Amino acid sequence: MMNEEFRMTKEYPIPKSEVHPRKAWLRAWCFLILSSFLILNSSFCPAQQPAPVPAKKPATDGKVWGALVYATTDAAKLTGSSEKAPENQKDLFGRLGKVFMPYTHFEIIGQHVQDVFREYESWVVPSRDLFLKIDSKGPAPDGGMNLHLQVWREQQVLVKTDAVLHPGSPLFIGGPKWRDGQLLFVLDLAKK
Amino acid sequence: MSAAAPAATDPVEPLDVDLVKRSQAGDTRAFDLLVTRYRSRIYAMTYHLIQNETEAWDLAQEAFIKAWRALPNFKLDAAFYTWLYRIAHNVTYDWLRKKKIQGDGEFDDERTEHRAMPGSRTAPQGFDAPDRAMKRQELGCRIQDAIARLSPDHRQAIVLREIEGLSYEEIAEMMKCSLGTVMSRLFYARKKLQEMLKDTYENPV
Amino acid sequence: MKTPSDENHDLIRWLDGEMTADERRTFEATLQNDPELAAEAESMRQLSESLKTHLPAEMPVPHADFFNSQIQVRIAQMDLDEAREREKAAASTASWFSWLRMPWLAGAAAAAAAFAIAGLVWTQNSSSGTSTIASTYTPNPAVHAQVFHSSDAQATVLMLDGLEPVPAEKKIVGFRVHRAESDAELATTTLFDENGAVLAVVAMNAKGQPTLLQ
Repeated sequence: MMNEEFRMTKEYPIPKSEVHPRKAWLRAWCFLILSSFLILNSSFCPAQQPAPVPAKKPATDGKVWGALVYATTDAAKLTGSSEKAPENQKDLFGRLGKVFMPYTHFEIIGQHVQDVFREYESWVVPSRDLFLKIDSKGPAPDGGMNLHLQVWREQQVLVKTDAVLHPGSPLFIGGPKWRDGQLLFVLDLAKK
Repeated sequence: MSAAAPAATDPVEPLDVDLVKRSQAGDTRAFDLLVTRYRSRIYAMTYHLIQNETEAWDLAQEAFIKAWRALPNFKLDAAFYTWLYRIAHNVTYDWLRKKKIQGDGEFDDERTEHRAMPGSRTAPQGFDAPDRAMKRQELGCRIQDAIARLSPDHRQAIVLREIEGLSYEEIAEMMKCSLGTVMSRLFYARKKLQEMLKDTYENPV
Repeated sequence: MKTPSDENHDLIRWLDGEMTADERRTFEATLQNDPELAAEAESMRQLSESLKTHLPAEMPVPHADFFNSQIQVRIAQMDLDEAREREKAAASTASWFSWLRMPWLAGAAAAAAAFAIAGLVWTQNSSSGTSTIASTYTPNPAVHAQVFHSSDAQATVLMLDGLEPVPAEKKIVGFRVHRAESDAELATTTLFDENGAVLAVVAMNAKGQPTLLQ
């Protein structure tokens, strides 16, 4: 899992300085707490340790949720798709409505949860007509992910971007017009 | 000032005060509506003072950005437009002052008067230059040209008075000068415009 | 006795309606006795009318939509910069962690503690990060990309303007992709639904374009 590796490799420099004597008790307590935390993790909960990654499974840098959304002003014009947004996408349609005025009605046409591969391109294909290609460029500070993103419409690339995604801070992409409304993408990085 | 914010009479249109409150709470969409509502007036002001479309566009943007930053301190004790206008004027005034410091006395009143040769064109080209060139013969464009040839101080006084309808006291406060100076600037600005447009009035289009 | 400057001021104060009623009556009486001044006043009044008529108080902003979106982009950027500054400031005040600096907590213990704290910082910040778009490139010059952050929607927005509409008669086929398998050797990605059935296979053609096989 990328998260574990990142934690292990990320450096948080520990500056050298004298410690105030009054904080000595705090040190001792924190040391005890940390030690127990580590012991618990390593001895009592062996099942929580990530299983060894099979040789064939490619390394990943995280997971994304991508959706193709149809936006329209007229509820009667919706396609009738039964796709539902995941629970963590709180009030997704309300938030889309704040950006994509004048549209008031939204529906998810397709959705895709995808591992972002570390070494290979990853495709997020919520529909056969419009989809995304993601190349990971590694972790970003504060839990984010650097990535190169391309929006494809069949065999035509519409836009290429370099972005930093953070969980819970989705990208809304205003795509082409369709029928009485517009096709939109939503791309969100899953929490680790 | 006559440029006070128009109360939104259409019930569908949110009032300035509501949009300002929402903006103060961090709602950028509400601020976007305020930008849309006032951009034409602010741009007209910066354009009249700068007489360069590209610079006026940038300065109008700068004014809105400064307004956004200053919004937490806006107490709603004045109309939003009056407050915004003051910011836009200060941004433009600072720009003109820097240009004057950096420049070569281009805007020196005396020299400007001598440079006001018939047919000379000091208004820079901009987004719609070909279109404007065609319309340049019209009276409005001759007036624009004449305004462009005024010194920034004279131009400001005229714009604040004739377009925005500010009182002398408001102009003095805005331009940080005395009432007497405001009156002198208005008088000499008009004298210069009269001279520059003499030909126009004697041979109207 | 009035100086020429006073007379000039009277003239424009009359013109601009800044005189009291008494001053106005006195000045208008002077005008009747001074044809030269009267001609000057009339000429200035005409000029004033022309200025009001020909200098528009409103002018359409060129590229108005871009004007607005640029403001939103700059505001978003300022918010981000401020958030970063706040984080920096918060990090510098979080120095109570400095007890970890002590010499006796060296070696493996220090490394383990650093690891634990790294995890803590990670968890704290992962909810506060805002997605950003650093650059965009649209191969089709008719297409313009605009980026802004909407704090209202808590989202970063990439607007693509100038795209060809999708023909109304075209049916947009949605997928519900449950998982994908990537084959590095064949450079293909197979998409599966929740029942394990293959939805499509993404393969690259000779031109480097994706092709969806079903």
